[in-house]
Amino acid sequence: MMPQAALSAAISGPSPAPQTGVLPSLARGHLHEIHASADGWAAALGFVLSALGPAGEQTIMLVRAKRSGPRLLPCGAGWAQAGLDPRRLVVVEAPDALGMLRAGLDAARCPGLAAVVLETWGPLPDYDLTASRRLVLAAERSGALVIVLRGDAPQRASAAQTRWQIDPGPSVALPGQAPGYPALSATLLRRRGGASGQSWPLQRSAWEGAFHEPEDAEQPTPLSGAVVPFPALRAGDQERAA
Amino acid sequence: MGQALRLAALTADGAHHGLAVGMTLADARARCPDLVTAPHDPHEDAKLLALLARRMGRFTPMVALDPPDGLVLDITGCAHLFGGEEALARLAMAEADLMTRPALADHAAAARALARYERGQAGGDEALRIRALPIAALELPEASLSGLRRAGLKHLGDLAGRPSSALAARFGEEAVAKLRAILGEAGSPLAPRAALPPIRAQARFAEPIGRTQDVLEVAETLLEDTARQMEARRIGGRRFVLRLERADGAIRDLAIETALPTREAAPVVRLLRERLESLADPLDPGFGFDAVALAVPRHEPLAARQTSTQGDEREEESIAALLDRLATRLGEGAILRLHPRDRHSPEKAQALLPAARGLAGRTQPPALPRPLFLFDPPQEVSAIAGVPDGPPLRFTWRGRAHEVRLAEGPERIAPEWWRHPLGHLPDTPLLTRDYYRVEDGTGTRFWLFRHGLFEERTHPKWYLHGLFS
Repeated sequence: MMPQAALSAAISGPSPAPQTGVLPSLARGHLHEIHASADGWAAALGFVLSALGPAGEQTIMLVRAKRSGPRLLPCGAGWAQAGLDPRRLVVVEAPDALGMLRAGLDAARCPGLAAVVLETWGPLPDYDLTASRRLVLAAERSGALVIVLRGDAPQRASAAQTRWQIDPGPSVALPGQAPGYPALSATLLRRRGGASGQSWPLQRSAWEGAFHEPEDAEQPTPLSGAVVPFPALRAGDQERAA
Repeated sequence: MGQALRLAALTADGAHHGLAVGMTLADARARCPDLVTAPHDPHEDAKLLALLARRMGRFTPMVALDPPDGLVLDITGCAHLFGGEEALARLAMAEADLMTRPALADHAAAARALARYERGQAGGDEALRIRALPIAALELPEASLSGLRRAGLKHLGDLAGRPSSALAARFGEEAVAKLRAILGEAGSPLAPRAALPPIRAQARFAEPIGRTQDVLEVAETLLEDTARQMEARRIGGRRFVLRLERADGAIRDLAIETALPTREAAPVVRLLRERLESLADPLDPGFGFDAVALAVPRHEPLAARQTSTQGDEREEESIAALLDRLATRLGEGAILRLHPRDRHSPEKAQALLPAARGLAGRTQPPALPRPLFLFDPPQEVSAIAGVPDGPPLRFTWRGRAHEVRLAEGPERIAPEWWRHPLGHLPDTPLLTRDYYRVEDGTGTRFWLFRHGLFEERTHPKWYLHGLFS
């Protein structure tokens, strides 16, 4: 692992070669863009939701437009497992992209929301520099966390504070060759007034909690003996009880 | 009542079968083997009676409840509007649309007694009919009634002649008071239900107005007027209807709803503006609007508010106002919340329902891993598994091949056979699902299932149901 650059060095200007610096958080009161593919949709949203911080009660708003592709519904059990109460979620379905942007702008003006996530697919010509500036102004005034999730979309100039590319990443296998806890790879494509181009592999050591970099995680020791699926979740195990 | 189940009410032909109110259920079933029963719900009956009383307001403003199953209407001065007392009684029975027994009399207590206790055909002079009523019409305790019967007094007419002091000494003041009320010697006042006036405000103009801005300003004034009315009754409006009457007689109604009761004009005006902007066919003022009326048909209790110094309440209100605005613009079905459902299938274990339906219940964290998102409907993939009960080795979704690097499973989720009429039979058409959590080379974690065990189907299909983060 390369030595972590100091925060001041990261802010002072773009480094000559992209090095891993301190992972910038998704700051409130700003607009952030996240690019993801259809496969990485859950990873991208996991990244956003883990940035919301520990248990809160504020509403999370997902704004989406009706689209022709496969419909993704939030799974209540999965959200509960990730540590988020599904009751915090409000989904707004707009008839078209323009309606979605308008609804997202209205939501960005509301101070009491935990996050406003605009789920967009494709190039989305209506989301231009002016639209992103309006979102930035609304976020600054209300202090809301505004995320524009761009699925299968090319990058476009915008006034966002940060622009990310989130891809799913290989996880540390759980015993029994089982897929591990959530892991992804976050690349900072652009940052206003700061270095960009770095990328961080992130993972979690449990179903819930924040993402962190691999060296901070303890390596899970494999269980000895016969390995069976769901080793930590045998019947009678109280750890997963509600 | 004892421990036996007794009949509380019968239909019209109950008496023909020898049934009577108060008979035990066992006796009733013995007389009438194919008896259809329903549980007695006094609460629902009371609600129905209240509803009926409101509908009787069509005939007279003085309607009193006579629980458990009666109404008393004071039709003094109203009868001529409906073509006479008999005609009014017939109309009322038709309006009630239930099995009813009406009776007309000069005094409320007399009418009540006649309706409940008159046996046989109604006919003759009213005074004679009243005197022919059995003493049960006095509704005294059973001991007093049996005492009266032993004394040979069976009808009210027998009692009418006796000196009241003697009756009072023997059977109490109450008996005398009731007798006098029925005979008409004492008044029997009604306690009518006072219907609350609807919340309404209206404005008429000498010159018709046409501009949207003017209409909204008038609406704001009317809202302040209704706010005063609502404040007096400590209620807040949930549904507001603005009626615009055009100069040529055409009427247009604009309705908006809010999630929380409100008395303030500003949020309602904002919602009205949203509604005006999102109208499918825009408002055509024609020659202008002559009159604008605002009604608040739906309201809820709202205590007088003190401005709070806490930020939380304001945040909650601003979120509610935001959801109201979005619902007014996009429709109520566009603002959805996730509700947990007590279902076995993963896609049915939650439902996105309109936010107006209320808050959801708690979701328990699951025992087994669940994805963050589910595909609706599950996406068909082509997969190859190494062993019949094993996870897939590779699968193809939307033209892209994925090599499975890590896999976990199967988690066997049976179909909800209890919901299917033939689900319990061995040759049911329902299929079991075997769910696998797989990760491919790039690190994407999928939730796949095989639809059908190999015993159930020779070539079961594979589906992608969800994505993990």
